[in-house]
Amino acid sequence: MSNSGTGPVVSFENVSKQYGGLKAVDGLNLDLRPGETVALLGPNGAGKSTSLDMLLALKKPTTGRIRMFGSDPYHAIKSGRVGAMLQSGGLMPEVTVRELVSLVASLHPRPLPVETTMKQAGIDKFADQRVDKLSGGQTQRVRFALAIAGECELIVLDEPTTAMDVETRRLFWANMKAEVAEGRTLLFATHYLEEADQAADRILVINKGRLLADGTPAEIKERAGAKRMSFRLERVDEPFLLSLPGLESLEIRHDLVQIQTRDSDATLYAVLDAGFRPTEIEVSSLGLEQAFLAITAEDDRADAPARVTRHATAEKEMSDQ
Amino acid sequence: MSSVSGTLALAKAEIIRLRRNKRYLFFSLALPIVLYLALGKSAITEQGLPFKFFYLFEMASLGAFSGAFNNNAIRISQERKDGWIRQLRLTCLPANSYVVAKIIATVALTAPQITIMMLLGRFYGGIDLPIWKWVAIAASIWVGTLIFSALAVAIGYWMDPNSVQPVIMLVFLFFTIFGGLWFPVSGVLGKFAEGTPTFRIVQMATDVVKFGSVPWAAVGVIALWLAAFIGLAWFTVRNAAEAI
Repeated sequence: MSNSGTGPVVSFENVSKQYGGLKAVDGLNLDLRPGETVALLGPNGAGKSTSLDMLLALKKPTTGRIRMFGSDPYHAIKSGRVGAMLQSGGLMPEVTVRELVSLVASLHPRPLPVETTMKQAGIDKFADQRVDKLSGGQTQRVRFALAIAGECELIVLDEPTTAMDVETRRLFWANMKAEVAEGRTLLFATHYLEEADQAADRILVINKGRLLADGTPAEIKERAGAKRMSFRLERVDEPFLLSLPGLESLEIRHDLVQIQTRDSDATLYAVLDAGFRPTEIEVSSLGLEQAFLAITAEDDRADAPARVTRHATAEKEMSDQ
Repeated sequence: MSSVSGTLALAKAEIIRLRRNKRYLFFSLALPIVLYLALGKSAITEQGLPFKFFYLFEMASLGAFSGAFNNNAIRISQERKDGWIRQLRLTCLPANSYVVAKIIATVALTAPQITIMMLLGRFYGGIDLPIWKWVAIAASIWVGTLIFSALAVAIGYWMDPNSVQPVIMLVFLFFTIFGGLWFPVSGVLGKFAEGTPTFRIVQMATDVVKFGSVPWAAVGVIALWLAAFIGLAWFTVRNAAEAI
């Protein structure tokens, strides 16, 4: 536990991974600090799994460097300081759950009692069943048990609650919170935004292999334009609406105006001050999901030339589909 | 935990699994026993030896080699696809422990298999040999298991589960047929057989029985194959590291 209190637990230094012509990860820079719970959020193919694979020494970065507890990932993992659960991690068939957990615990330098681990992962009820006879959700919980079978400082989970039903998922996060409460650092990849919002105290949004946003859930929502506003307007004046303060995006359908704004008060006052009298005014908070969509959509159309009109047209195209 | 004890723990789990695997038990244990019980008492002579000798060595080798192929090639390929190898790489075990444990498990399970066949030969076939000859015969079959385990590791890392089955079948039949394990080979085929490890392993056994000496040409051929397949396995495993 030599350097866990001081330096970052994990650092990516300008890390890229290239597969032929495709850049799966493109110049990723980030630090994880001790005790943080961090969600890695991104659409499919964003580079989440590739990033985690490189972190877990399963793949080598094409360029750049990853450090874990101040050493290279392979040695950090072989010292047992990391407990990891992969989406693509398989289990050894033909053995019972207890035999498998015991095996993995016996491979760890600081194993936890097998019964404790199984209880924590909620798999003690089917400990004597054969691994190859389990359901998807049960298998997922066994994978989790393997990740926490030994004492570790960093837990890395790739899409941990896939294949779990709602109740199991709730239970999973309750157990996870207990694990993290002991001072562990947690990094998990997910595409469930709700999960990132509730469980993480820091969210990393990645798309096309690049880090787009890094902040608390509240900051991420704010960054994308925290409020959504809509109203009806008799005579729509597009150039005026585009000049509104705080405007993030604009969508016009006949007389219905929908706006994403960083500052809903300022935006609304500007509309009123200009002499407009909109009707059916609605202002609502943007959920993390919309924030996430806004951030990644902004990135996806980053190649187009003019900024504000491009918002309007892109939003239009999306809503027309 | 040292990496040695970790590897042994994994090998132990592999042995537990294999003992529960019906396919393995059938092809490696039941089939050679049944075939020997059915045919072992034939009165003909083969390679200058009563059939009961010759067929015993054949069946013991067949069981051992089919175990080496099934356990390593088919399972490695499947476990590569299922992600068990990835999962293991997240533990403290060194990267190569998986393969080492597999081979240890195969070779360890071969010991009782060969012993059962030898006992069968002794008490059912009525083959009476001094103990050192039994040991020499068992040892040569054991080395053969190592050769085919190495080849099977290479195939398991190289092929996906769909193509591994037919390929293993072809390779297995190639070495066992041309090596004279199913029926004796002679003439041009016999010349060809002299280059195969399978033929040489049975030759080791028969020469020990016939002449009471170890044929060094056979040892040389076997050592060459062993080195070649270990090299191939090492190369394939190293190349597959990123694709796991």
